[in-house]
Amino acid sequence: MKKILALLLAGCMAFALAACGTPAEPADDGGEDTAAAGDTVVIGVYEPLSGDNGAGGKQEVLGMQYANSVAPTVEIDGKTYNVKLEIADNESSNDKAVSAANTLISKGPSIILGSYGSGVSIAASDTFEQNGIPAMGVTCTNPQVTEGNSHYFRICFLDPFQGTVLANFAKDELGANTVYCLGQLGNDYDQGLLKYFQQAAEEKGMTVITDSFPEGTSDFNSYLTTAKNKGAEVIFAPTSISYAQLIVEQASAQGITMPLLASDTWDSNVILSAAQGKDLSIYVTTFYAEGGNPEFEQGFKEWINADSTNLSNNGGDDTIAAVSVMGYDAYFVALEALKAAGSTDPGAVMEALPGVTYSGVSGDISFNEIGDANRTTAFVKTANVSENVWDFVAVQGVE
Amino acid sequence: MGKQLKKKRAPEEKAGALIAVVLLVAFYVFLFLLDNAIPTNSVTVMLIPVLKKSAIFALVCVSMNLLNGFTGLFSLGQAGFMLIGAYSFAIFSIPAGQHDAVYQYFNGGAIRFSIPEILSGVLGENAGAFWGSIICIIIAGLVAAVFAALIGIPVLRLKSDYLAIATLGFAEIIRAVFQWDGLGVVTNGSNLLRKYTNFHDIKIQIGGTIFQLDTLFPVLIATVCILIIVLLVNSSYGRAFKAIRDDEVAAEAMGINLFRHKMLSFVISSFFAGVGGALLAMFQTTVQAAPFRTSMTYEILLMVVIGGIGSISGSCIASFLYIAASEWWLRFLDSGGITVMGTHFDIPFFRDGFRKVVFSVVIMIIVLFFSRGIMGDKELSFAGMIRKIRRRKEAKGAAAAGKEGEAQ
Repeated sequence: MKKILALLLAGCMAFALAACGTPAEPADDGGEDTAAAGDTVVIGVYEPLSGDNGAGGKQEVLGMQYANSVAPTVEIDGKTYNVKLEIADNESSNDKAVSAANTLISKGPSIILGSYGSGVSIAASDTFEQNGIPAMGVTCTNPQVTEGNSHYFRICFLDPFQGTVLANFAKDELGANTVYCLGQLGNDYDQGLLKYFQQAAEEKGMTVITDSFPEGTSDFNSYLTTAKNKGAEVIFAPTSISYAQLIVEQASAQGITMPLLASDTWDSNVILSAAQGKDLSIYVTTFYAEGGNPEFEQGFKEWINADSTNLSNNGGDDTIAAVSVMGYDAYFVALEALKAAGSTDPGAVMEALPGVTYSGVSGDISFNEIGDANRTTAFVKTANVSENVWDFVAVQGVE
Repeated sequence: MGKQLKKKRAPEEKAGALIAVVLLVAFYVFLFLLDNAIPTNSVTVMLIPVLKKSAIFALVCVSMNLLNGFTGLFSLGQAGFMLIGAYSFAIFSIPAGQHDAVYQYFNGGAIRFSIPEILSGVLGENAGAFWGSIICIIIAGLVAAVFAALIGIPVLRLKSDYLAIATLGFAEIIRAVFQWDGLGVVTNGSNLLRKYTNFHDIKIQIGGTIFQLDTLFPVLIATVCILIIVLLVNSSYGRAFKAIRDDEVAAEAMGINLFRHKMLSFVISSFFAGVGGALLAMFQTTVQAAPFRTSMTYEILLMVVIGGIGSISGSCIASFLYIAASEWWLRFLDSGGITVMGTHFDIPFFRDGFRKVVFSVVIMIIVLFFSRGIMGDKELSFAGMIRKIRRRKEAKGAAAAGKEGEAQ
């Protein structure tokens, strides 16, 4: 019995090895009638599909997959290529980042998109650089992603910008003088954004109380009570979605009426469903407000609803997350870069990227000398707790 | 007895050792070629990171095995000591020019020198990076060992489960301390440490040509460290450790100082965990405290159990299989289908996350049916193999002779 089992296991392993040994063949699903089979350009998608940021990563990938279904081919230097998305899961974890990045590189991509979450992007950055492959961040907002290197670009705004926007909004629109800031200990995204928010808020004369919770916290009652007792008028908590959900539910249970302010991570239907029917006001800054491009929205919703897998990856309904929109735009920026490069060679794409401009669903995209997108505005949205949608509030800049 | 042992070290032992050395050298040569001569293709691009990471985890597993398998101390603090090692390495090897960028929220940090950089000024760039990182790796091990010595004084008085809980708690506390803003000028708080020396910077210059040591370097360090542990386990200290594992009271009656030996084992194990952490930092090119959570310790424990508690070669084999399966071989399960002989088959349940399901099932099967791991508490030994082959031959010869005898 044991011998048979051992053989079986060994067989499985051997099979797995064999399956990896064969180089990735160009898949010809669907696009055959528009392009000659075999001409494929690979776009690597480096995103978290599991772990803390799995939910957001999946929504970002959905945007790219939809874009791929809208534009499955690209014309490069007079020749039509099929575009194939190769996806690798970085598990939201820096220690898995290198092998996930190498998995993508083994597929021979011309450009890599991702990731949701700045930490994993920075962790994979060197691997991309050593292999000479350009990467384009979609919603990673930490300045360190693009700083000091020539291969990493990004199409979203940055944390210093977002922190200032949020502080302005808290002061000007919500009229807050005391803000309670809550972030996860050890999460560079939370802590970075809190720092920038604090800087901007203190410049505007607001009092800022900061607090951190350890990883795995599920009881936020003591933090919320502290906020109340210290006389805060706004709670700013740019946490990841899984904690945000708990904060929303417990804030409502405690009868907290002061506004909850958060950043792009909270822009998710998960938050909406947590807040549904509760007496809460939630404000988020984000990359896109629903209603900005009805044509895109209709198409995206139809595409989501047509496939149960997509629907479950989007969190169970067809609300459009801003990260999906960014994923969609990132895909087209990548196509523009390929066209501008006139070749599928990663080096050529890297050279062409700084000059690429594109008018996307989320706005006009062009890069500055660091490789960041020139973005001057962010959208502020609020959760409509009765209709389970995001309501557009304002377009906010830094003045 | 001693004489008998010496007598036993007959030709098989010698031949076995020779085979092991030859294979190891061949492996090193292969790695050297992999770094310098073999062009990258879709296999090597995955093989290289898997080899690096599994060498690192093999070292960490063996260090855990020294504690759990050979001394019988059930400690779960490995990730904590790796964290200390990783941070110590990174902090001392970030080039001076990069401090402002890395410690962006802490005005450039408190420690503003880099050992590899200083050595580069003296020895030249390549030798500086090489020896500088070795010094930093040793510092990383020493810092972890110092922490282990401090924590060991109260903790090692505890037994079995209580020791496990205390060390687990220690690892969690260390992680929280490293993430604390108050220490940000050194640890960079919740933010990443980056831009320090990594495997790609390790090169040697022979004659006029520069050779990369990307993969060879971690494997070399890991094998040297594992070899030291093997020597330790086979020394009189090692026999004392095993005596403590088997029966503490009997060991004490034989005159073994329990606390001293436990402490020795704990500190040495932590030293190598720290070295493993430093290598992991080099591999990842960025360090953040967040991934060094309890689940990393469990991952290491799982590799030790799969390989066999008390088997060093088992730990090495298991770490390779574990890393390769989780990060390379099973990835195709996530890709929506398989490609066999050029044709692509779409398989609906082959989607994100399926890899993890299969992996968990495989691990469960291994733990259920091979409860003593791949190797049990035995070692992979070429001498043993030679002996087995010889015995089989002799048996055959004897049988043949017997048959001849019968025939006559």
